[in-house]
Amino acid sequence: MKDADRALVVAVTTRAVFDAAAGDVYGMGVAFPLLQSLQKVNERLLEKNPAESLLFDVVLIATDSQQQSSRIISSTSHYGLEVGRFCFSSREDLVETLVVNNVQLFLSTDRDEALQVSQKGVLSALLGRQEAPSESLRVMLCGDAIVRPDCDPVPASRGAAQSFSARLGEMRGRFGVSGSPLSIVLVTSSGGSKSCGVALQTLRSRGLSVDEAYCLAGAPRGPILSLLRPHFLLGDGVIDLED
Amino acid sequence: FAAVLMFPMSLLGILYCPRGMSLDPVQVKELNVSPSPNGDSRASWEEEEVEEEEEDRLGIATKTKPVSVTDLSSPKPENAVTVAVSSRVLFRTELEQRVFEQKGVEEYLRYQIEHENEPFAPGPAFPFVKALETVNARLRELYPQSEELFDIVLVTYNHAHVGIRLINTINHHNLFIERFCMTGGSSPIGYLKAWQTNLYLSADADKVREALAEGIAAATMFMTEKLTEVSESQLRVAFDGDAVLFSDESERIFKAHGLDKFFQHEQDNEDTLLDHGPLKGFLEALGKLQKKFYAKGQRLDCPIRTYLVTARSAASSGIRALKTLRAWGLEIDEALFLAGAPKGPMLEKIRPHIYFDDQMFHVEGAAEMGTVAAHVPYGVAQKHNQPQKPGARK
Repeated sequence: MKDADRALVVAVTTRAVFDAAAGDVYGMGVAFPLLQSLQKVNERLLEKNPAESLLFDVVLIATDSQQQSSRIISSTSHYGLEVGRFCFSSREDLVETLVVNNVQLFLSTDRDEALQVSQKGVLSALLGRQEAPSESLRVMLCGDAIVRPDCDPVPASRGAAQSFSARLGEMRGRFGVSGSPLSIVLVTSSGGSKSCGVALQTLRSRGLSVDEAYCLAGAPRGPILSLLRPHFLLGDGVIDLED
Repeated sequence: FAAVLMFPMSLLGILYCPRGMSLDPVQVKELNVSPSPNGDSRASWEEEEVEEEEEDRLGIATKTKPVSVTDLSSPKPENAVTVAVSSRVLFRTELEQRVFEQKGVEEYLRYQIEHENEPFAPGPAFPFVKALETVNARLRELYPQSEELFDIVLVTYNHAHVGIRLINTINHHNLFIERFCMTGGSSPIGYLKAWQTNLYLSADADKVREALAEGIAAATMFMTEKLTEVSESQLRVAFDGDAVLFSDESERIFKAHGLDKFFQHEQDNEDTLLDHGPLKGFLEALGKLQKKFYAKGQRLDCPIRTYLVTARSAASSGIRALKTLRAWGLEIDEALFLAGAPKGPMLEKIRPHIYFDDQMFHVEGAAEMGTVAAHVPYGVAQKHNQPQKPGARK
């Protein structure tokens, strides 16, 4: 188990990781590419520093009674996924489970679930659809919430978002400009270039350097998002990546 | 020495009768419009609505939603004429380029951040972009609610670390560029398509070729030391004919079989339309905006003027070019048939903000005389392209 204080604990629902069962093992779900990317980041961090403690700590949470715990564990091992902890919880106890496990980011494919969690103060995001495995973990930040925090639709998790992005920035800083297994992408939907400039500076002051920046100034987000293919998007309350 | 014939198209109108425009009578109610320092106008949305005389693809939301003073939004990509420019053509970045080439990317980015508050100087595309904004200001005066404007987008594969310096520079020069993509190294071509780009200008010939292959009008620009002054009130865009507005089919004949065969072929095919070239769509987009000025009685005072500058000769091979343009419904303000004479001196007289040609020979000739020329790497001429100057760098 990773160093509790330093690790970046990311929880993912088993429903997102695993698909319908084919025999003894579950199929690969939407979150599969994400887990592989998180693992890749950890591998590269440890390559640089075998004593690295700022790593991703993945927690799998099962709230779906349809999925059997034994099959979940055996499927995890079958695919060689590195999971720190399994939590078998119920939907009602989800938030408590997350808090008890010191989860810094909760990822789900269920919009209502993610929103509910985020309203209780735990940073939450929807998973993006990845057609093919990507070279790096692509984290998208929504600049609008950074520039105008009062317009944040879910103020409860704002603090969690800020501290997560600071830690993420620290992690990103371990790698150079090119060839990083982690990419930070900033998107501002409304507001013009000045707004985006403010977002860039704010993030930099929090220790988070951005790799790519897109200022949409009101243009539809869909076409750009489908090109950017983030694994998940932070800082916009909970938005639908399919929009 | 071949005589150069210049035909203002209004004159040619008598000879060739270009297709006229029919306009419905205009019903316009005046809106209270206050211009802002940047040259854009804001409409008072409490006033009566303006009825446009032509179909304007405005979203319903913009007509009914109240717009606050700080809410100057960019037009929807499908309504606007989107011009994407890279940072290296909009601004001068030779010094930074050298740092990148000599010391690598980390040092380059460190340098950029260190000089963040020093704006870049204007690059070759700068006067062109300023002229686009001038046209926008005039369009907003006449059509305050229309989104049929130029939308300038900065598309660079620079890393976002350079972002703050670029934004500072945009603000310093009072440019209205609200949309951009900094792709951090990956190809910007997908974003060009997502923005429905009508024209892409870059210093990188490979990216330009990629764009052309995707059907996007594109050209490579180079920094020149000599720059003649251009108009600040009228956008002037000049185009070569073959392999720019038209396909390279005739150039192929010329290259394979020589001048006589070329003339014969053109004569035989005088009534067959030439196929379209990569920049036809952009000329078309300019024409649509021009018509908006004509509709308000501003033909003589139109802030957009287009030119054809071709090596074809008026009396012979030029006829096919003109017939093709007419059949396409495209008006070009001036057609200059050089019959093979050098283009530089003529361009120096016209002073376009940009001149598009498929041959580096002409691009360099234009640059030597202070015209900003952009290379369209399309067609058969590319196999024969030999830059005269060894250091024709971006």
